Amino acid sequence: MAVIKKDELARSVVEDPTLMTGSMPDKDWTEIPAVFKPGNYAYTTKPEKLEYLNSQQGVSFPNARAWNPEDEDWKLPPNWKEIIIKGLADRLDRFRSLKIFMDCCVRCGACADKCHFFLGTGDPKNMPVLRAELLRSVYRQEFTLAGKLLGKMAGGREMTVGVLKEWFMYAYQCTECRRCSVFCPYGIDTAEITMMLRELLHLVGCGINWAMEPVSNSNRTGNHMGLTPQAFKGNVEFLCDDIENLTGVRVNPTFNRKGAEVLFITPSADVFAEPGIFTCMGYMLLFEAIGLDYTWSTYASEGGNFGLFTSNEMMKKLNAKMYAEAKRLGVKWILGGECGHMWRVIHQYMDTMNGPTDFLEVPKSPATGTVFENAASTKMVHISEFTADLIKHGKIKLDKSRNAHVKATFHDSCNPARAMGMLEEPRYILNNVLEQWYEMPENTIREKTFCCGSGTALNTEEIMELRMRAGLPRANAVKHVYDKHGINTLACVCAIDRATLSTLMDYWIPGVSVAGVSELVGNALVIEGENRQELTEGLRTLL
Amino acid sequence: MMNLSEALKSHEKKILALWTERTLDTYVSSGFFKKSLDPFANPVGANIREGLAQLFRLILAGADSQEFAGPLDQVIRIRAVQQFTPAQAVGPILELKWVVRQILSADKNCRELLPDLAPFDRDVDRAVLQAFDLYMECRDRLHKARIRELKSGSYILTDSGCISALIRDNLREVAQTAQTTEGSAAEKA
Repeated sequence: MAVIKKDELARSVVEDPTLMTGSMPDKDWTEIPAVFKPGNYAYTTKPEKLEYLNSQQGVSFPNARAWNPEDEDWKLPPNWKEIIIKGLADRLDRFRSLKIFMDCCVRCGACADKCHFFLGTGDPKNMPVLRAELLRSVYRQEFTLAGKLLGKMAGGREMTVGVLKEWFMYAYQCTECRRCSVFCPYGIDTAEITMMLRELLHLVGCGINWAMEPVSNSNRTGNHMGLTPQAFKGNVEFLCDDIENLTGVRVNPTFNRKGAEVLFITPSADVFAEPGIFTCMGYMLLFEAIGLDYTWSTYASEGGNFGLFTSNEMMKKLNAKMYAEAKRLGVKWILGGECGHMWRVIHQYMDTMNGPTDFLEVPKSPATGTVFENAASTKMVHISEFTADLIKHGKIKLDKSRNAHVKATFHDSCNPARAMGMLEEPRYILNNVLEQWYEMPENTIREKTFCCGSGTALNTEEIMELRMRAGLPRANAVKHVYDKHGINTLACVCAIDRATLSTLMDYWIPGVSVAGVSELVGNALVIEGENRQELTEGLRTLL
Repeated sequence: MMNLSEALKSHEKKILALWTERTLDTYVSSGFFKKSLDPFANPVGANIREGLAQLFRLILAGADSQEFAGPLDQVIRIRAVQQFTPAQAVGPILELKWVVRQILSADKNCRELLPDLAPFDRDVDRAVLQAFDLYMECRDRLHKARIRELKSGSYILTDSGCISALIRDNLREVAQTAQTTEGSAAEKA
């Protein structure tokens, strides 16, 4: 046999495959502990935020303290285990869905390879079935006869600090996007299992600041950023100035106006952060074009509801604020902007939590007379449903050539797609405002859409790598249409998407920007009396 | 007798299979990554499979190392954000040397060709150095994204108001300063 020229080659590199990790699991999943390192967990809730929330009516967030997931000691309350088991018993009793989800999984594995966190990490505990098993194993041990008698043999597992740490790790590596549920033959909503895990963790004071600070701000001033009514109004008015400079159209929105026909609520990010502000300009131009009688509220100044990512009670409270404002202002119905999870709360939980909204009317478009029967119960219409109806009835004039700079694809935001089934309206709008746009591959759109990877309050910078790997399946499909058709814009109808997909694109496919569908509508709108500048970048043009 | 290039070509399938397998083994639960060939259902597996195959073919074809960039990007951009050390992230590229030796030494007709691998090894070295550059570029991009998000974060928005307003105020200040300067210049004159 020939001898390798050792002097030419680094022997270790050639002869040993040592640089590879070869990380095939050699232990059962229950024996692999969660290890917290900088970058793989989001920062914990600031004690003062939790103390404030715990002092508020209708919600409970006990055990506020400073603690660090990397420390061995999480400073849990002495009776933490009792709290958790009691908390689980209470929830099994209150939520029939949870009880069913705990019992009915047959571990067929249909969900296993559908989660973007699993697809981006290869970590088996990110398979939805195994993530649920983290809770299910404790459920079996404590609440089923087989588990009580046979323990591990029946798939049961003792609730230990290690298990709690695992919960914290993986409940915050799930964006509750519900893609896995689409493939589950039993329709198990794994998002609700994550919601329960997070609720249980809150009982012992374990949460993340990126969720709890916005929740605390929303509870206090009405929006995630804690903007005061004056600041909120000021920001909207600055956008009006920008609109006037660009289009020559002066829009004059009103705030907290009693007796308006419609209350308009959108994520606060649309009011103050790029690229959402361009979407917001689009809304206001559209309302001006049809002369909509609407008002903003500086108290219900947030469509987003991080309560959904926190606890049932918190979600209920933040959602109630929108309806309380609608009642106070005496509007007929509510029009909602491009938000993701706001629509999940509205469609799946609102009616049970805060319904019936009998003080409002079934939404009817003043421009077309269309009655939105789909919103007969919630009294809240999505801006894309509203816009598509206007287009269908020829009530607005659109010039596609004004979007000549845009070559788009469309990302179905998880919640509008899977939680409210709004699949066609945004596409219909895009057909009417763009010369051309391209669909991503079939198994990555509509109800099978991939999450941005940063939803449910995971859009924080300390877990940037985690967000990038979770967003890979989405980015990978965008890359396909980018390579094939040269798209430069990723359109969507969600404020979290607008923020997080911008960063995701910047990493995976530099050169692709993110735009709200309403921004593209605003670009194309022809308004009577306008004095439009040469807007080569639409509403983003810098004059 | 076969020359090295022919030997590598004739064993291409085996080499790529082992190389891909070993690379995907670096993931804890790699079964699905290896099995699914759908590039959209399995982005990690499909991109790594395709990237490695293309890279191997480019090396075989004696392509300019500039051309390695595309396939390397397919592999490294992904591994740069996964839980690997820098060495583990780029390691699979270097692993090709070992894989090729494994496959060639298993075939008695090819064993004699092993000493001829030096130029091939140098190409792999070039590729791995490029992979490291790419890895650093990815990490750099990530840190910049982090800074950008921090800068556009809540404290700026809550503590300093609307950006448009700031720009407008700034323009007003500039205009006022210009007027004052003109005024004092006129006074002096």
